[in-house]
Amino acid sequence: MTLPPFVWLILWLILSAPFVYIIGRIDILTDSRRNLARWLSLLCIAAGWLGLGRTLTAFYEAGNIDLINSATWTLGAITMRFDGLSVLMACLVMTLMTAILFYSGPYVGREEGVEKHYALLLLLTGAIIGLVSAGDLFNLWMWFEAMAITGYPLVVFYTHDRTSLEAGIKYLVQSSAGSVFILLGVALVLLSTGTLDILEVRAAIDTTVIGTPLWITAGVLFIVGFGVKIALVPLHTWLPDAHAQAPSSISAILSAVVIEAGLIALLRSLSALAGAAVTWGGLLIGFGLFNIAVGNLMALRQRQVKRLLAFSSIAHVGYMILGLGVALYVGTEAGAQAGFFHLLSHGLMKGLAFLAAGALLYGLQHQLGASDDSDPGSHKGLEIDDLSGAAQRYPIIALVFSLALMSLAGLPPLAGFMSKWQVLMAGAQAQDPTLLIILIAAALFSVISLGYYAPLINRLYRHKPAVAVANGRTIPLSMTIPLLILAAAIVILGVAPMLAGQLTAPAAADLLSFITR
Amino acid sequence: MEPSLILIAIGAPWIGAVVVWLIGDRQPRLQHLTAAIASLVAAAAALWLLQPTFWGETGKVVLRLPFGAFVGDMTFVADSLGVFLAVIATTIGSLTVIFSQGYMAGVAQLGRYYTLVLLFIGAMCGLVLSGNLLFLFLFWEMTAFCSYALIAFYNDDPKAVAAGIKALIVTQLGGVGLLIGIIVAAAYLPDLQISTLLAAAGSLPSDILTIIAFGFLIAAMAKSAQFPLHIWLPDAMEAPTPISALIHAATMVNAGVYLLARFYPAFAAVPGWTAVVIAMGVTSALLAALFAVFSNDIKRVLAYSTVSQLGYMVAGVGIGAIFESQFYLFSHALFKALLFLSSGAIIHELGTRDMREMGGLWKRMPQVVLPFLIGAAALVGLPFFNGFWSKELLLETALESNPLGVYLPLALGAAITTFYTARMCRMVFFAPIQHERTADDHPHVPLSMSLPLALLALGVALAWLLAAPFVSWMWATLPFHAEYILPHRAPESLISTHTLFAWSTLIIMSLTLVGLYLGWRAGATTAASARLAPRIGRIEAFFNESAEAVSGATRQSAALLQKTQTGQLNWNIVGIALGLIALLIIILQGVL
Amino acid sequence: MSPLQLSFMGIIALLGVGLYALLASRNLIKIIIALQIMTKSAILALVVAGNATGRINLSQSIALTVIVVDTIVAVLALALVVQIKRQTGHLDAAKLTDLRH
Repeated sequence: MTLPPFVWLILWLILSAPFVYIIGRIDILTDSRRNLARWLSLLCIAAGWLGLGRTLTAFYEAGNIDLINSATWTLGAITMRFDGLSVLMACLVMTLMTAILFYSGPYVGREEGVEKHYALLLLLTGAIIGLVSAGDLFNLWMWFEAMAITGYPLVVFYTHDRTSLEAGIKYLVQSSAGSVFILLGVALVLLSTGTLDILEVRAAIDTTVIGTPLWITAGVLFIVGFGVKIALVPLHTWLPDAHAQAPSSISAILSAVVIEAGLIALLRSLSALAGAAVTWGGLLIGFGLFNIAVGNLMALRQRQVKRLLAFSSIAHVGYMILGLGVALYVGTEAGAQAGFFHLLSHGLMKGLAFLAAGALLYGLQHQLGASDDSDPGSHKGLEIDDLSGAAQRYPIIALVFSLALMSLAGLPPLAGFMSKWQVLMAGAQAQDPTLLIILIAAALFSVISLGYYAPLINRLYRHKPAVAVANGRTIPLSMTIPLLILAAAIVILGVAPMLAGQLTAPAAADLLSFITR
Repeated sequence: MEPSLILIAIGAPWIGAVVVWLIGDRQPRLQHLTAAIASLVAAAAALWLLQPTFWGETGKVVLRLPFGAFVGDMTFVADSLGVFLAVIATTIGSLTVIFSQGYMAGVAQLGRYYTLVLLFIGAMCGLVLSGNLLFLFLFWEMTAFCSYALIAFYNDDPKAVAAGIKALIVTQLGGVGLLIGIIVAAAYLPDLQISTLLAAAGSLPSDILTIIAFGFLIAAMAKSAQFPLHIWLPDAMEAPTPISALIHAATMVNAGVYLLARFYPAFAAVPGWTAVVIAMGVTSALLAALFAVFSNDIKRVLAYSTVSQLGYMVAGVGIGAIFESQFYLFSHALFKALLFLSSGAIIHELGTRDMREMGGLWKRMPQVVLPFLIGAAALVGLPFFNGFWSKELLLETALESNPLGVYLPLALGAAITTFYTARMCRMVFFAPIQHERTADDHPHVPLSMSLPLALLALGVALAWLLAAPFVSWMWATLPFHAEYILPHRAPESLISTHTLFAWSTLIIMSLTLVGLYLGWRAGATTAASARLAPRIGRIEAFFNESAEAVSGATRQSAALLQKTQTGQLNWNIVGIALGLIALLIIILQGVL
Repeated sequence: MSPLQLSFMGIIALLGVGLYALLASRNLIKIIIALQIMTKSAILALVVAGNATGRINLSQSIALTVIVVDTIVAVLALALVVQIKRQTGHLDAAKLTDLRH
């Protein structure tokens, strides 16, 4: 049996995780100070890049690889498909995970449970690549659950911290409630079509007429279920807690990849139901507007940097699903490309923003409140006021942080400007007056977002540093370099947006092939 | 040759910006030098473009860089509207950079200052030379960002930060108008080239063209600080004074006028558009002049004066006087930069911006007095400075085309302008010494500060000689605007006795004399008119208060919304359940 | 009433009970039990759907997988609850509101 390279990639990532854990555990138990788990996980990711490279060459040479019924375990038929959407997400997750593994070394340092954390990160990577290449609905749910399950312990990394625990239990309960709805949706699809393979469901729905309410209910259940993970308003309430309380590297993964993976899962499930006589696109556009409005307004009054960034993620999800909603609504590839481009650029810039905030937190942490070592469990948040004059002490971190913020605010010539521009432009191409009003609202809320990004940048560049900043500790190079690389990516994608087309164009084409089938 | 010149004009300042940042704040002299060289190179490239062999028509692309299907090609066009503003941006830019060497000496974080100034100069060139709407917008936003960052340059001062954010948000609101206009245009046009829009304007559906036209109008309103979006400009005076001269007098604020002039041929036929442009310009010209009368902060007076003068240009575009308004823009850029820079020299010396604390500078700062007075004379429109020719030309056209609606208020505005200028000059230079700080000995104005002043003063005195070549340049390079450029006038009559003895000139001159006399008298007493001042103050405050009401309402709604994030798990589940039920109802209702 | 309709009414009832408990109970243990009840309704739905479409093998294997996954989630949730009890001394979800606004 020959497995295609992407299956090897997933298997490699998942199977290597236990070894990383065991060796890391032994390393800790023998009290050696080599931090083996980190180096080993970096090695695994490096090998993963080889697998991804093989996968990409195969993809760009041949188009889709179908692996239908390749292995019929007792679980039933498992279908995995590595298409354009998978390429996009696989590249994003591998890039960010590499950056984060480099970064985590000093950041999580020798906290309790680091070896577990590295193993879980590898598992998460595998689960996400599996999720985005799942070819049938149940398989999709399973990978989605796998992603969620690896996510919970990562959010509650600081197991002695009250607020982390609180964030974790909220995340778990809401996310599990959502996944029940997804399962119910899967059951309805199975009931009405007798199959779960996405292509077959799409074909079945095209030919059959009866059962429309069942499909629609299934679609709604998918939207609500995946929507919890994507943080569609009003299902978003867990997100600011979890993203703000997790370690910054995890926040970066959650905001930059996990949300996006959930979005891909939603698109897959909705594209299976694209034949049902309902405009899923219209719903997504509506949610997009809600998210943009609520996310931006909520961020306006936040005092904590990471919480602010978390709310800004909610707003940016809005821009993504606005573009993708337009694609589903009108059936133009432009909208899909724009949505995917924003997904990509949000992944990079939000990842960078969280990592940069984390770097500052790392530099200042011993100065912030919980200075007594008797209470190591207390991890104080980084307030905006703590950042005063950070540029004096940390010029590079401040520069990349402000680049990320500017990109999030949509200022040129950065990736966020180009992707937001494309989303709005794709929306206008529908030539629909209602949509135009929504676009105007989206653009106006983008202006409001300046009301919270700009003061943050001003803080960084104060001349007189805050006490904490003046006494901050040095930020090691292994944290700075990933930041610089991500910043360079933001600038390059902003200056040369056509480069993103390599990833977004196949993804858009594959998404559209479902809708217009 | 043209492509490389354009690339140098945009790229040299940007490369300089990076280099200055890399040099670091430990070597301020090297930073000064790099910044000056970068801006001078850009200025040389822009001036080189003036040669007739390099003239390019609107729509004739001289540089094309492919940017993928979505964005379209990045193109640059070297027509007169663009090159002219690029020349202003780079030359006045280099003069300000040189001036900054003296003015900003010893200020911390100089690297950030020069980086942003150089970024701005490059972005401004890009804005006016771009032939693609998206890149026009991109550069537009970049200038807005640089302006914000420079206004808030003194980050430790909450007032400066607030002013910067205010400027950013107001200009970005305008940016939304431009953005919407562009994306709507793009949805109906084959590509994003400016010339495509100009050529196809007639064939677009009329409601679509209306959206585009008014979107662009809002953008211009915000950028050029026209009523009622002028509120950011007076506050922007928290910026270092060279920035006020460069960005908030000579270049960026002109971008709005540029936008209106650039697209006038496309939008002139949109019902109501020209009327709104005229109303906006005339109101700004009059009201801002009135506010200037009652300000005692020298930079605030100049800022309101800028709003008012921009109103003249906007009104000029509104009546279709493209050349007149551009010529006015040219003069204004020179004399207002001169006024700001010389006021900067004064502020630098005295450490105050309050005119009531000045006085007696006539004898103390002769290197500054003369340039300032030359600038003031041009602002007032005294013969034969550049302000005289351009103002008379614009007003004469206004008298011919719209005597009641445009000429009358603008003439009144001219009188008020002379009033506040005379008052300002007297308070600053000729009033009795008001403050102990002014009693010091002769201060030293370094060459880096006095040289730009001298050059600008020379320009103010002589730039009007360029009027005739300017017209022929515009005729040669602006095919879409041809019918709006001096349709009823020969270029020889621009600078001639014809203007001197026109009716309009006589009326304006007599109004000027009255204004000068009254203003001179008003400058003797520091107390403003007791009856009028509070009323004008109320009008002035009204605009700010309504803006604050809007931002307050936004904050209020944000605070209300925050109440929904209770942090209770059960409540969060309610959100999920409600979302599910609402969706089911919405969707199934449509189907069943 | 057909068996299919009957079983779906059961599923909806089970889901309703679970959702109500999730909304109404403040005790974290009860919240986890509520999640379990909801999942059971989904499992039932899958089996019923498989039975109705003649793909009972598929749906049975799916149901088994769901049960496994569900158990993992429950274990994780209970571990979290234990830790919460240790750190805060209570199990009241309504008092866990350090993070809000």
